[in-house]
Amino acid sequence: MTLQLSDVSKSFGATTVLEAVGFEVERGTRLAIVGASGSGKSTLLRIIAGFEEPTTGSVGLEGRRLADSTTNVGAHRRGIGYVAQDGALFPHLTVRGNIAFGLRRSPSREKRVHEVMELTSLDPELLERYPHQLSGGQQQRVALARALAPAPTVILLDEPFSALDTGLRAHTREAMVAALERSGVTTILVTHDQEEALSFGHQLAVISGGRLVQAGPPSEVFDAPLSAEVAEFLGAALFLPARTTGSGQAVCAFGELDVRHDLSNGGQAVRAMLRPSQLHVGGPTGEGDARVTAARQNGSTVELDLSLHDGFALTHRVPLYDGHRFPAGCAVSVRVDGGVVLYAAAATSDRAGTR
Amino acid sequence: MRNRLIRAAVAPVAMASLLLTGCAAADEGPAADATTDALVIYNAQHEQLTEEWTAAFTEETGIEVSLRNGGDSELSNQIVTEGAASPADVFLTENSPAMSLVEDAGLFAPMDPSTLELVPEQYRPSSGAWTGIAARSTVLVYNPSMITEAELPASLMDLQDPKWKGLWGAAPSGADFQAIVSAMLAIEGDDATGAWLDGMHENATVYNNNIATMKAVNAGEVPVGVIYHYYWYRDQDGTAENSGNTKLHYFGNQDPGAFVSVSGGGVLKSSTRIDEAQQFLAWLAGTAGQTILGEGYSFEYPVSTGIPARDPLPALDTLDAPVVDPSTLNGPDVVELMTEAGLL
Amino acid sequence: MLFAAAALIPLGYVMLAAFDMGWAQFAELVFRPRVGELLTNTVLLVLLGVPFTVILGVGGAWLVERTDLPARRVFAVLLVVPLTIPAFVASYGWASAIPSIHGLGGGLLVATLAYYPLVYLPALATLRGLDPALEESARSLGMNGWRVFIRVVLPQLRLAMLGGGLVVALHLLAEYGAFAFLRFETFTTAIVVAYQATFAGPNAAALGVVLAGLCFVVLVIEAAARGRLRYARVGSGTPHPASRVALGRATPFVVAALVVLVGAAAAVPLTNVARWLFATDAADWQPLLGATWQTVLLSVAGALAAIVVALPIAWISARYPGRTARALEGTYYVASSLPAIIVALALVTFTLRVIPVMYQTVATVVAAYVLIFLPRALVSVRAGIAQIPENLEEVARSLGVSPLVAKGRVTMPLLVPSLAAGAALVALGAANELTATLLLAPTGTRTVATGFWAAASAIEYAAAAPYALTLVLLSVPAVVLMFAQVKARRSG
Repeated sequence: MTLQLSDVSKSFGATTVLEAVGFEVERGTRLAIVGASGSGKSTLLRIIAGFEEPTTGSVGLEGRRLADSTTNVGAHRRGIGYVAQDGALFPHLTVRGNIAFGLRRSPSREKRVHEVMELTSLDPELLERYPHQLSGGQQQRVALARALAPAPTVILLDEPFSALDTGLRAHTREAMVAALERSGVTTILVTHDQEEALSFGHQLAVISGGRLVQAGPPSEVFDAPLSAEVAEFLGAALFLPARTTGSGQAVCAFGELDVRHDLSNGGQAVRAMLRPSQLHVGGPTGEGDARVTAARQNGSTVELDLSLHDGFALTHRVPLYDGHRFPAGCAVSVRVDGGVVLYAAAATSDRAGTR
Repeated sequence: MRNRLIRAAVAPVAMASLLLTGCAAADEGPAADATTDALVIYNAQHEQLTEEWTAAFTEETGIEVSLRNGGDSELSNQIVTEGAASPADVFLTENSPAMSLVEDAGLFAPMDPSTLELVPEQYRPSSGAWTGIAARSTVLVYNPSMITEAELPASLMDLQDPKWKGLWGAAPSGADFQAIVSAMLAIEGDDATGAWLDGMHENATVYNNNIATMKAVNAGEVPVGVIYHYYWYRDQDGTAENSGNTKLHYFGNQDPGAFVSVSGGGVLKSSTRIDEAQQFLAWLAGTAGQTILGEGYSFEYPVSTGIPARDPLPALDTLDAPVVDPSTLNGPDVVELMTEAGLL
Repeated sequence: MLFAAAALIPLGYVMLAAFDMGWAQFAELVFRPRVGELLTNTVLLVLLGVPFTVILGVGGAWLVERTDLPARRVFAVLLVVPLTIPAFVASYGWASAIPSIHGLGGGLLVATLAYYPLVYLPALATLRGLDPALEESARSLGMNGWRVFIRVVLPQLRLAMLGGGLVVALHLLAEYGAFAFLRFETFTTAIVVAYQATFAGPNAAALGVVLAGLCFVVLVIEAAARGRLRYARVGSGTPHPASRVALGRATPFVVAALVVLVGAAAAVPLTNVARWLFATDAADWQPLLGATWQTVLLSVAGALAAIVVALPIAWISARYPGRTARALEGTYYVASSLPAIIVALALVTFTLRVIPVMYQTVATVVAAYVLIFLPRALVSVRAGIAQIPENLEEVARSLGVSPLVAKGRVTMPLLVPSLAAGAALVALGAANELTATLLLAPTGTRTVATGFWAAASAIEYAAAAPYALTLVLLSVPAVVLMFAQVKARRSG
C-alpha cells in the first residue's frame, strides 16, 4: 500500500466540497480520478499534495501520516510531485533550470536532468529554452520531467492535457503515460475527460458531488457502472424501460435481452442501460424492428430518428457507407449485442438518445 | 487560513521595520557631515552671508560648521519646541523678535562679556542673553515713473489711509516685515498697530518676500513698497535688473518706517559645544566678522564700533531711526495681531 | 501592523491637534475671514482645475487614439512631456517669463498644464484597452463620431476620469511650491506660512484640520461617484485597431490647439529653464553635485522602504482579498491623500514628543516619503503579484522547497519588474518632494528640490536653473516607465 486516504472531508465555510472520501492506491499504480467540474476532484488532489488541509480525515503515505486532525506535513516535505493544468513552468528559468529546481546542487544533478529529459522523450536541445519558447505539449512534458526529477513517491497530475488542442493532446498523453510507465511511479490523474480517464491507467475512480461513487479497473467500471449517473457520465448510454423476467433476462422495446448486471435491487419495473455501440441497425426487412422517422446526413454518419414498435423513440448514428440506405419512413432491423445493465426505474420517463 | 494570513503579514512587516532601522543606522550619508561634530547653526540670516562668515571662520579656526536654514519665526519657534533636546548650538537671525522669543523661553546661555563689549548698547539687549551681529533699515522703495517724491507718504503710518488702496506692496509673511510691525507696536501701541494692519489688509498687495516686492515696484505693478535697504543696494551693485527703475526713500524722523532692525546671534544653553559656539559669536562680533559685513556681498550694517558700512550706504547714525530696545520687541503678539487682521 | 499604525500618525496628529487646542481656540482660528478666503481659493482651484485637466487629458487621449490626427504618435509622446516638469519648476518658468502672473488665474493655468497628464495617461490606457467593436456597432446604428464619443466612449472612460480627477484634486490640494511662486494662497501655502511664523503651532494645525477635511471630502465625492465600479485592469488589448474618426476641416485647428497646449505646458517652462541656464555662472553648478547625490540617496532609500512596506500589504490584498485587506489598503490611501506638509508637521511633532532620537534623521524623512508615496508602490506591486500565478509557488513546494524559499526563488524574481516600477515612481515623487524634506531632513541636507527652492524663492532665477534642469532630468526615466506601461496595454 502506498497512498491511503480515509474519510477525507473538506469544507470552505458553509460549502462542503469533499465528503468522506477514502481509497488506497498500490505502489506503481496509475489511478485516474474522473469527475465533472466542481465535483471536488481538484481539491482532493490539492489535499494529497499538501496545498490544502483536510477538514476531517487523514492522508497517509507508505505508513507515514501526512495529514490528520493534529498533523499536516508541508507540501515540501511529502515527496509528492505535482503537475498543474497549465504546466506552471517557472517563466524566469530555462528548461534546465526548471527541471533542476527540486534537485540539490551536486555533481549528479546534471545527470539526473538528462535522465528525466530522456524519460519524457524531450530533445536535449530544449534545455536552454525558456518556457515561452516551447509548445504546449513540450511545456507539459517539461513539467512532468521537473516533477519526476526528485524521484517522488507519488506524482499528481491535475488535468494536464486539458489546455492542449486535440491533436497535441493524444500525442502528449501517450508520451507522458509511457514516461510514467517507464519510471514506475505511483500516479494519480485528475480529469473531467472520460476517455482520458478510461485509457490512462490501472484504476479508475469516479467522483461526484464531493463523494467517491465508484472505483475499480476502468473496464469494470465502464462495464458495470454502479448508478445510472455514472453510466451516463462515462459515455453515451441508452436507457429503456424494461421488465425482468425472473430468468436472468429483461424485456424492453428491443425484445428480450440478456442481463449483464442487475443493479436494480429487485422489483419488476426497471431501466435497462446499453451502449450505442451495442446496437446494430440493418437494412429494411419486412416489418422490421423499428421505423425511421427522419434521417439526416451528418458528414460521414447518418443520424436516424427511430421509432420502436411500442412508440419508444431514439436517435442513433450509423456509418454513411455501410451498405444500406435509410430513407425516411422505411422499416429497419435492430440487433442488440451483449447484455444490458439494469437499474431501478427512474421517477420520470426516459428520453433516449445517443449523444 | 487566518493564521497563514497573519503570518504572511507579520514577517514582511518585521522585515520592513528592520530595514528601516537599518536605514537609520547605515544611511547617514546625507547627514553624516552635519551630525558628527560640526557646530550646528540654526541660521535665519541670509544663507549667502552666513556662508561667507562660516567659510572664513572655519578657515581661521578649523571648526567645522553645519547650517540649518530657515526663517526667523520658524527657527525660533522650532528651538522653543525642541527645548533642551535642540540640536542647535548657535542661533542667528535677521531680526530681534525671534531672539527675544528664545530668550524668554530661557534657552540662551549668557553671552561672553568680552563679546558684548564689542557691540554698542543700542544694538544688543540689556539682558546680555544674546548680541546684535548686524543691522538693517526700513525703507520705502518707489517707482518714480508712477509717483513723484513729493507724493510719497511722510510716515509709514499714512499707508493705512484708503487713498493708498492698491498702491503699495509688502511681504507680511516674512520676519522682516513682522519686525517692522513689532517696532510699530512698541512705538505706537496695540490699537494704532491693529488699525494700521487692518488698513494694510485693505490697501496692500501681498508679496512673498522683499525681493518680490521690490521687483513688483520695479515692474510698475505697485508704485511703492516697504522693504529693507540692503535688497536695493545689492541689486544696484549687481545688474540692477530688479531695481533699475526704482529709488529709495528713508522716512527718518524716528518714524516706525525708519526702524532699524537688529540681527541677533546667541548660544544655546543646551549646546554640547558651548565654547566653540561662544568663540564663533566673538569672532562674528569682532573685526573679522564685521568686516565681512562692511565689505562683502550683504550690504547689511556692521554693528561693532569702528567698522564702516559698505559704500554707498548712508551711515547708520544718520538715519534718525526710532529708539527701541531690541529685547522689547514681541514676535508672538505681532503674529497674533496680523492673524487677527487676516494677513496670516 | 506596525506600519498600519504609522500610517495613522498624520491623521492622528491632525485630530489630536484640533482636540488639544480646544473648541474655543480652534473656532477662533478657523472661523475667520482669512480662512474663508483660503477656502474660496482652494475650492475654486479644485472645482475649476479638475474639469480643466479632465477635458485636456481625455480630449488629448481621444485625439491621439481615436482620430486621424496627423503626427499622432508624436503628439502621444509630447502630451506626456509636462509630467517630467515638476509643477513648481513649471511655475518658476512661467513666473520668470511673465512676472505679473499671479493669483487664481495663474495658479489654475500652471496647475492645469502641469497635471493634465495625470488624466491623459489613464484615459489613454483605457482607450487602448477598449474593444472598438462597441464604437463600431454604435456607428453602424447611425451615430456620428461626436455622438459615439459622448454616448459610448465617454461612459467607458468614467473610471479613468474619476481616478485621474481624484489624483489631480489631491495634487491641487497638496501643492505648495507652484502656488507660492504665483502668490496664490491655498490652504497648503497658508499652512507653510503659518509654519514659518510659528513652527508647528496651533494656527498651522487648525488649517491642517480644515485641509485634511477637504481631502476627505474629495475622497468621499470620488467614492460616491464611482459607486460600485472597481478599478481593475481593463481587458486584454484590442483585437484589431480601432477605425479612426476623420477630423476633416477641423484638422488644422486641432493641431494648432495641441501645439499651443504642449507649448504652454512644456516649451514655456523648459525654454525659461534653458534661458536662465545660459545666464548661470560655472560656480553655481558646484553645489548641485552634492545636492544630486543626497537626492539620489534619500529617494532611493525612500523607494526601497516604500517597496518593503508595500510588499506585504499588496500581498494580502492580492492573495487574501477580504475586508481586512480592504481596510488596510484604505487606511493607506486616506493617510496618503494628506498633503506632505501635514505629514511633515505630524512627524516633527511625533518625533520630538515620542522618539526624539529620530528627530531630524534620514529615517524620519524616509518614513515621510513612505507615508506620502506608498500608493504609488502599492498599485505597481499589487498588479505585479496579481499577475503571478499562485500555483507556481505550490509547484515549487511540491518539488521539496519550503514556502519561504519558494517565494525567494520563484515569486521574487518574477516580481522584480513591478517592484522596480513601483520603486521608480516613489523615487520620482521623493526627488521632487519639497516640504517634508525641508522640515524633516537632518541639518545640512540639501536636495535638488530644496536647493532649487532656496534659490528660486530668493528670485535668484539663474542660480535655480541648474537645479530645475536636474529635477527635469531626474523625472525623465520614471515618466518613460509610466508611458511604457500605458503603451504595453496594446500587446498585453
